[in-house]
Amino acid sequence: MKISGSQRLPFPPDQSYALMQDPEALARAIPGCESLEQTGENEYRMKMKMALAAFSGAFEGKVRISEQQPPSSFRLDVEGSGKIGFVKGGGVLKLEPSETETVVNYDGDVQVGGTIAAVGQRLIEGAAKSMIQRFFEKLAAS
Amino acid sequence: MATTITRPKTLIGKAIRRREDPRLITGTATYVEDIKMPGMHYAVVVRSPHAAAKIRSIDTSKAAARPGVVAIFTGQDVSKVGPVPCGASLPGLRVPNHTILATDRVYYAGHPVAVVVATDRYIAADAADDVEVDWEVLKAVADPLKALEPGAPAVHPQWPDNKAFDFHQEHGDIDKAFAEADVIVKQRILSQRLIPTPMETRGVVAEWRAADRALNLYSSTQIPHLLRSMVAQMLGLEENRLRVVAPEVGGGFGCKLNVYAEEALMGFVAMKINKPVKWIETRRENYLTTIHGRGHVDDYELSAKRDGTITGIKLRIIQDLGAYHQLLTPAIPTLSVLMMPGLYKTQNIFADIVGVFTNCVPTDAYRGAGRPEATHGIERMVDILAAELKMDPAEIRLKNFVQPNEFPFPTATGLIYDSGDYAAPLKKALDIAEYEKLRREQSESRKQGRLMGIGMSAYGEICAFGPSPATPAGGWESATVKIEPSGKVTVLTGTSPHGQGEETTFAQIAADELGVDIDDVLVVHGDTALVQYGIGTFGSRATAVGGTAVYFALQDLKAKIKKFGAMLLNSDDVTLANGQCIDNKTGASKSVQEIAAASYRAMQLPPNTEPGMVSTHFWEPPNFTFPFGAHLVVTEVDRDTGAVKVVRYIAVDDCGNILNPLIVTGQVHGGVAQGIGQALYEQAVYDEAGQLITGELMDYAVPKAHMLPWIESDHTVTPTPVNPLGVKGVGEAGTIGCSPAVVNSVVDALSPLGVKHIDMPMTPEKIWKLIRSAQ
Amino acid sequence: MIPQTFDYTAPATLDQALALIAQGAKPLAGGMSLIPMMKLRLAAPEHLVDIGRLKELNYIREDAGALHLGAGCTHYEVETSPLLRGKCPLLSETAAHIGDVQVRNMGTIGGSIAHADPSADYPAALQALEAKIVLRGAQSQRTVAASAFFLDTFATALEPGEIVSEIIVPVEEAGAGASYQKMAQPASGFAIVGVAARLRRSGGKIAMARIGVTGLAGRSFRATAAEKALENTAGSAAEIQAAAALVAQGVEANSDLHASAEYRKHLAAVYAGRALFAALARTA
Repeated sequence: MKISGSQRLPFPPDQSYALMQDPEALARAIPGCESLEQTGENEYRMKMKMALAAFSGAFEGKVRISEQQPPSSFRLDVEGSGKIGFVKGGGVLKLEPSETETVVNYDGDVQVGGTIAAVGQRLIEGAAKSMIQRFFEKLAAS
Repeated sequence: MATTITRPKTLIGKAIRRREDPRLITGTATYVEDIKMPGMHYAVVVRSPHAAAKIRSIDTSKAAARPGVVAIFTGQDVSKVGPVPCGASLPGLRVPNHTILATDRVYYAGHPVAVVVATDRYIAADAADDVEVDWEVLKAVADPLKALEPGAPAVHPQWPDNKAFDFHQEHGDIDKAFAEADVIVKQRILSQRLIPTPMETRGVVAEWRAADRALNLYSSTQIPHLLRSMVAQMLGLEENRLRVVAPEVGGGFGCKLNVYAEEALMGFVAMKINKPVKWIETRRENYLTTIHGRGHVDDYELSAKRDGTITGIKLRIIQDLGAYHQLLTPAIPTLSVLMMPGLYKTQNIFADIVGVFTNCVPTDAYRGAGRPEATHGIERMVDILAAELKMDPAEIRLKNFVQPNEFPFPTATGLIYDSGDYAAPLKKALDIAEYEKLRREQSESRKQGRLMGIGMSAYGEICAFGPSPATPAGGWESATVKIEPSGKVTVLTGTSPHGQGEETTFAQIAADELGVDIDDVLVVHGDTALVQYGIGTFGSRATAVGGTAVYFALQDLKAKIKKFGAMLLNSDDVTLANGQCIDNKTGASKSVQEIAAASYRAMQLPPNTEPGMVSTHFWEPPNFTFPFGAHLVVTEVDRDTGAVKVVRYIAVDDCGNILNPLIVTGQVHGGVAQGIGQALYEQAVYDEAGQLITGELMDYAVPKAHMLPWIESDHTVTPTPVNPLGVKGVGEAGTIGCSPAVVNSVVDALSPLGVKHIDMPMTPEKIWKLIRSAQ
Repeated sequence: MIPQTFDYTAPATLDQALALIAQGAKPLAGGMSLIPMMKLRLAAPEHLVDIGRLKELNYIREDAGALHLGAGCTHYEVETSPLLRGKCPLLSETAAHIGDVQVRNMGTIGGSIAHADPSADYPAALQALEAKIVLRGAQSQRTVAASAFFLDTFATALEPGEIVSEIIVPVEEAGAGASYQKMAQPASGFAIVGVAARLRRSGGKIAMARIGVTGLAGRSFRATAAEKALENTAGSAAEIQAAAALVAQGVEANSDLHASAEYRKHLAAVYAGRALFAALARTA
């Protein structure tokens, strides 16, 4: 499923860019992230707990940052799997200055599998968007 | 020839209520899930979440450590169990090795990779969650058209073109027909993937009696005997040491006309753990791993003369097979080819099938199995041709029908249509609808800007499967009729009904033939230890083939009754009527019950006659039967939302003689419900990665009662000469006749906007977009 | 269809239930959403507290010009209550649209709104009725407006330890009319789009218009621009159509297997029109 949109960060692009490469900031901002541990250059192992209404599930997965072109764009891939299925998402984030702030345009794919794919279909887009929004809200607050 | 065989004082033809219903509607029937045994264990199958992946390793240690877990088996453990069988054979067919558990690779989401056995199902489910599989995820392909593109991911790496087979059939001179045609119409028509959705999912209980070296297998199946033969072979067990029982079966619609991995797997588990084991499929598993139906992309071309005479039909089928061949998977589209001329005369046909592997669960027989696709295709094409020629859709059908004096009629596809008066049901449907008046109403409503449609289909189908040479495992059926010493009658049928009501109709046949009370007749089925070998219930065959076997067993028995009766009455001239054997000279009589008792007591025996009152008959049908009918549907489309309302549904079916009109009407209603499901609501949707996203009843729209119209069901009666009962079969008719009539009606409603074709399901959004793009 | 192990308590009083919920137990009412999630193992609460049996949460009464519904009222009770049918028919009409007979017999109004499914039927009516929702915890009680209760997809103003205990809706005044109209998703029965409209006519003008929308976006909402456009008009067909067209304006609409965002927005206008016409006809 394609997913795209834009969010704002109240920092100039170079600062926003740096923030989004900082594992500690990411760990704080990714909704449900319980741990983020570096496994290689720009690669991390993540444990997260996703909760959406009655749904809840623990996921273990990887975060990878690539195609870095500071401070204007990079690619982010996140994948996780747990007992209720798996989630994979990836896309390019483009940063544009807007006065003293940054507009982050994202464009990517989300793929889910397992039980969540079967029952959560109508919720995935909304859930993904709301997670992205929370992610940026938390980043903005850091 | 619309005639009915009538008999005096007969139960045949009476709307007798189904004798199986009290236990079904009071919740007291025994399904597989209701079976409990001392020491029973429970199995949960671990399945792949991925549509295509390599298995790097499977770690079962954490699961095995859970208290209550008794055993875990993976693909390596079951390597000696034979593959899941494919019963269909086609020239050059590529058959993947379908092991009961995946070994190094999975091919569809839901593919079984391990089985966890525990003392209760909750522990088993918890432990199944603990099984860790290290996957290497591969690219999958779920769309058959994409699978045929160069460079598509290979479902089976050894066959990179994803083709399982090419099939070709032609007859007559198709090139001449098209070269000389006044008009040629073409259309791509889709018959989408559907999920059969029986109320009862699959389930298996396996019990190994080690001391007897005997395996009892209870399974929700339509084919207990065939299942026994094939599972015995898979397990390497002597067939006579395997007993298969199909207890109450809560619907099948073809999806239980199969042999599934779990059936052999539970047998294997029971033999390994030496304890009974139960596995009940969840609805989620049912959607992921029980066969789906349809899955056609059909390219049609029709050639015709200006007067509407159809001169040739070309059909190219792309069949989405899924990842494997289940029992009949590759054979299903060949039935579409057989049925492609419909009820029409043309002798020029050309058909190609490409069977395509996809990373999806296999398709196979689902109510109608190949014939709904063919009927949908030809009946859409005839409407498209009528529109092109500006002819009335009824008129063009009447013009092309095989005529009553042409039977038996050899079709271009090699069938011999048995009997028919194809115009009769169509004319009856038009009469019931008051067709002329309806068309006037339609033109009035169009002036008001309303979108009212009138659509029809004239369908034929292949039923009573079938002559043995034309079926993969024999097409006969068996029956044993016993009159017990007390005079009670037991009918053992090799068919295995699961909703069709044969406990009622077969009892009607027996009660009529013997002249006994219907309550004295018990119909037994579905247990290979009780019932002689039989084929099963599918392809609208139970009554036409199985009922005929019962009929012939009864004739043998009647002859024997008369022999004993003559002996007891000291007569050489007796008649058997109304349950009495009567001496034609003296009028003295003995009842069937008295005669049965005497046959067992055997104080005296007629010459060359054995004691007892039992007869078994295996009946081989000389031909299929070919029921037909016409459905007429009035719809109204909501211009604002695109929603379709079925305003009237008229079904006139000709299934030959009718044994029980209540059951026939019930079959038509259920069939129409599933046809409307396909026309308006249902579609199995896989995403690009092969995830089934209509994976639950929350998203897969099986129609409910309030979504269905009142069905005006009527009949014409053209008996078949193929069997002495004159019955043709009706189990699939409603489904086959329905979907083209509904689509034709909606296309007719939208025709003022220039709409010529709509693919199923006709969802409101799809219709709304058509309306909007026309504006 | 096999849930994980859980503890189950059916306390005799609401206070006992709230004490357990404060400790982290999950409330179970009709179980129409929670139980399927548990059977699919998408939810695995360790401890369920059954509040569906509490008589304290099962009442419908009139008090000082308002109707008070205990959260434990089933949809069937809401649908058939003579008090509601007489004094707040919109809520009864909406309840009749929920799921099927079995769901209406088991499911509760409190459970439904606490779950906050973006396609549930009640939120449209509660928005249009400007309902108040009473939230109770072991040591707390507060009342929030429906508009402040539904926050996002499955997200509400409920804090941990709180449950919905009561729903308060107004007694309809004379001259008011209301209607709920929806397109049901054919598999689940949830609303692809559902619109609840309330109108009051006075002196030949529409004195009050309230429009609640569900299914369209991540949360239910009141279509205030459309309401304003309609108030103080005569309620002509053209005025109603113009107002209905505003309902989806500027809304980021949901998109799924069953309906695209574009189609949902179109349906919102269509069903808003239908609900408004039906409501207007009932103001007489």
